Amino acid sequence: MKKRVKLIFPKRSVHMPITYRLAKDFNIAANIIRAQVAPNQVGTLVVELSGDIDHLNDAVDWLEVQGIEVSGASGEIVVDEDLCVHCGLCTGVCPTRALTLDSETHRLTFSRSRCIVCEQCIPTCPVQAISTNL
Amino acid sequence: MRTIDGINDKIRQGKAVVQTAEAFKAHAKEQGVAAAAAAVDVVVTGTFEPMESSGAMLNLGHTDPPIKLLECYLDGVPAYAGFGAVDVCLGASQPAVAGRGADLGDPEAVREHGGGHVIADLIAGRSVPLQATGHGTDCYPRTSLETTITRDTINQFYLFSPRGLYQNFIVGVNGGDRTLSTYLGPLQPRLGNAVYANPGALSPLLNDPDLEAIGIGSRIFFGGGVGYIAWEGTQHFPLQRRLPNRTPIGPAATLALIGDAKQMRPEWVRGCYFKGYGPSLMLGVGVPIPILNEQVATHCAVQDADIVAPVMDFSIPRRVRPTFGLVSYAQLKSGSITIEGQPVRTAPLASIYLARRVASELKTWIEAGQFELAAPVAPLPQDRAFLPQDALGG
Ligand code: SF4
Ligand code: SF4
Repeated sequence: MKKRVKLIFPKRSVHMPITYRLAKDFNIAANIIRAQVAPNQVGTLVVELSGDIDHLNDAVDWLEVQGIEVSGASGEIVVDEDLCVHCGLCTGVCPTRALTLDSETHRLTFSRSRCIVCEQCIPTCPVQAISTNL
Repeated sequence: MRTIDGINDKIRQGKAVVQTAEAFKAHAKEQGVAAAAAAVDVVVTGTFEPMESSGAMLNLGHTDPPIKLLECYLDGVPAYAGFGAVDVCLGASQPAVAGRGADLGDPEAVREHGGGHVIADLIAGRSVPLQATGHGTDCYPRTSLETTITRDTINQFYLFSPRGLYQNFIVGVNGGDRTLSTYLGPLQPRLGNAVYANPGALSPLLNDPDLEAIGIGSRIFFGGGVGYIAWEGTQHFPLQRRLPNRTPIGPAATLALIGDAKQMRPEWVRGCYFKGYGPSLMLGVGVPIPILNEQVATHCAVQDADIVAPVMDFSIPRRVRPTFGLVSYAQLKSGSITIEGQPVRTAPLASIYLARRVASELKTWIEAGQFELAAPVAPLPQDRAFLPQDALGG
C-alpha cells in the first residue's frame, strides 16, 4: 500500500536519517517527492511511503513520536480558470507534466491524475491562479 | 501597392480584408507572399505579456481646501507625486509598503502587492484607498488626505508604458546550483527549465522588423482599449544584429505606448507578481500592420522557425551574461530545447493563447469599422546605441 504524506521537521530533527530508519525499522520505502531541508531550519518533506498497511501506521506513529508533524494528503491542486492567463510559466516547473499547454490552443491543461501535489507550481504562478483545496 | 488612407476607405465600406498574423503566414506559405499581399489589407498581431515598464498617470481632482501632494499611496503602493498638485504616476512594478492604507495582512502579502495590481483594480472598476500628505503651501494649504478613488472619480487615468513592446527577448536558464527568482519566474538549477517571454512570430514587432509600417502615432489595441505608439521605448536598440530576414537575434527595438485606461478592460490588464522578484503588470497589446507593399508582406510572413533568441545563463548576475547560443521560437514552442546535449523543458511567459485572442479581437474591431488605422506622424529612430551605465568615481 502507498500513502503520500507531508512531513514537517522541527529544527532539531532535520539531521535524522529518516528514510534509512523507515526502511530498516519498518520495512517502508520512502520515495521523496519534494524536499525543503536545510541545516538548522524547519524542513518539509513530501514523501510517498510504500509498505505493509500495519507497518505504515506504525511508521507514522513513530514519526510523530519523533516530533515530526505528519499531515495526510496535501490536498489537491486547483487552477482557477477565471484567473489563469495561460502564460504557461507553471508548466516549466511541474515535474510530472500534470500542467501542460495544449499544443494546438496553447491553453493550460491540468491532468489531476498526474499531479503529485509537490506544490512547486503554486508560487510560480504570477497571477496566483493555483492553490490547494486544503 | 496600398496607402493607409486607401485601407481606411475600405474599412469604412466594410470591405477591408483583415487577417491575423497566423492566418496570414499560413496564407503566404500556401499561395506565396505576392498573392497573400495582393489579397490582404491588414495583418493583425498581438501579444499578452508582462510589461513591467508601465505606469498609470492619474489626476485626482482638487480637494477643498486644495492639496499639493507630497507623498501619495494607492492601496499601500507609493505613487510618484513630483508633478503639479494632484497629478500622480503609479508604476506597475512598485511594491506596496506596510502601514500605508493597504489592508493586506501579512508582510508577504504586502510584498506581493504592487502598482500593477492597483492599476488593474482601478480598470476593473474597484475602489482603491488613497492616503496622502501635502506640502502645505499658501495656495495648497491642506497637508493630508485620506479617501478612496475609482476610475470614475478621477479626471485623467491613462496608461503609459515607456517600454511596452519589445522586439524579441532572451531565453532565461540557470546553470548554477540553486533556484533563482527572476523576472522570468523561477529558473531551476542545473538547466532545470528555460523560460522565453515573447510570443515569437505572433509578436507585433517581429512582423515589422524594420518598423517600416508603423511609427509614432500609429493606433493600436492597448489593454482592451485604443492606444497609440507614443515614442521609441526605453532601451530601444534597433542596431541589434539581425538575420537576413531582418528579425533581430536578441532584444532590439522597443516602443513606448500610451492609452486611456478608462476604456481598458480587466481581461487585458492583469496585475501579477513574480516570487522573489516583484510585482508587475501583464498587458494585451495588438498592432495592425498595413500591407503597404510586398516587402511589408514578406516580413509578416516570417515563421517561428525563422526567428531566434539567445539563451542566457542567469546564474552569472552580470550585465553581460554568458550565452548558450541561439534557439528558434519553433524549438521553444515545441516544449524542449537542447543545451550542451541536455534536453531542457521550455515554458513561455507570454500567453500565446491570449496573444491570439488579442489579434482576433482587433480583427473584429477593424472588420466592424470601429477601428481605423492611423498613419504615423514621425518614424521611429533606427540608429539608437545601447549605452551601459558605468559608475564613475565610485
Ligand atoms: S503540484 Fe507539482 S505535480 Fe502537481 S501540478 Fe503543481 S507542479 Fe505539477
Ligand atoms: S502560471 Fe498561472 S496563469 Fe500561467 S498558465 Fe500556470 S496557472 Fe495559468
